[in-house]
Amino acid sequence: MKLETVVEKIPCTVVVKGKGFDEVDLRSIVASDLMSDVLTTVDDRFLIVTSLNSEQVIRTADIVGAPAVLLVNGKQPQNGMVRLAEEFGITLLSTPLSTYKVCYLLGCLLEAT
Amino acid sequence: MSTIPINTQESPPFLLDLIYRLKVKDVMTKEVITARKETPLRKIQHIMKEKGITGVPITDEEGKRIFGIVSMDDIIRALDGGYIEESAERWMSRNLIVLEDDMPLQFAISYLDKFKYGRFPVLNKDRELVGIITSRDIIIALLVEVNKEVEKLEQQIVQPPSKPGEEAWLLYNIRKYDFENAGKASAGIKKLLIERNIDPKTLRRISIAAYELEMNLVVHSDGGTLSFRLGQDRVEIEARDRGPGIPDVEKALEEGFSTANEWIRSLGFGAGMGLPNAKRVSDEFSIESRMGEGTIVRTVIYLIVPP
Repeated sequence: MKLETVVEKIPCTVVVKGKGFDEVDLRSIVASDLMSDVLTTVDDRFLIVTSLNSEQVIRTADIVGAPAVLLVNGKQPQNGMVRLAEEFGITLLSTPLSTYKVCYLLGCLLEAT
Repeated sequence: MSTIPINTQESPPFLLDLIYRLKVKDVMTKEVITARKETPLRKIQHIMKEKGITGVPITDEEGKRIFGIVSMDDIIRALDGGYIEESAERWMSRNLIVLEDDMPLQFAISYLDKFKYGRFPVLNKDRELVGIITSRDIIIALLVEVNKEVEKLEQQIVQPPSKPGEEAWLLYNIRKYDFENAGKASAGIKKLLIERNIDPKTLRRISIAAYELEMNLVVHSDGGTLSFRLGQDRVEIEARDRGPGIPDVEKALEEGFSTANEWIRSLGFGAGMGLPNAKRVSDEFSIESRMGEGTIVRTVIYLIVPP
């Protein structure tokens, strides 16, 4: 599933456009507010869905090789988070929707592609 | 009043070197706010309030020739004695203790010890007023220099000479609860490995191990070091902390067991996955822990060596 498709179909704003934004192909979705859990994921190239808006989310994404982070519940990223996303080339999105709603929509999208 | 304890021969050589190397002119405030002889003390009181200063030299029009100084004490005395509306000339302190701009900072420090004044006007060789020095100026200058020196010392630790057979060695100091810098060591390790073209799967395992151990130091330890060695066929990461120690190592290796508090969990950590996850991605893994002394976690990840 293309990251571009996510941005197109899910109501969200692009806070930081990461490296190779147009080409990023997502293999799966990981929804969690515990970065400890994200770090145990075996896959890479996934979208992190979280309501945690700290720098450590971006650091975790970089470590596990996740190209994008989607903040839910209308959470605004902290300044440090934006700076770090720019530095690491990670796409940062924000949506007013809840984790459940977003995951449902992403599931439908993933099925369709 | 206690004396400033850095003028003695017992002070560290670096500090002694510093207070002789720095000149009064390197430390003083150069933009001196002055007043004239005929300026009313009331006006000087207002200048002090507005500029946040405690002493105003009384000079000629050019601000070069100094006749005296009006300090906060003089103002208080004037308010007390009811002559605050009078001009500075009669009431200023004429008994001036001045410094020369080429003197080592050591002179300024010993003057602060010797005399009760909080500030000293600074003159050049031609006896012209060129600055003013306060204990605040000295504190700032010393802190800036000491910081620079400490930074240098820390870098010396971070970049030790590499040993034969060792491609690279990095050492990071990690502070307790320093979430602002947490993850920087791992990012540095990852960057170095990308430059060495390590295969992506191994790189990911090394990065995860480094990050988990780094976060462990931040969240659970009293601070310590994270060291990284890149060898020909392996990577070694070692987290060494100063305490408090793990009471039950086997328990700490169980998934989901955590001693982290609520606010650490609210930052996305402390789920009790750190050590098990570091172990999972490692080829060799060991923990040594002594209560009250500290913990050493070592992990080794083998590199794929092309035949």
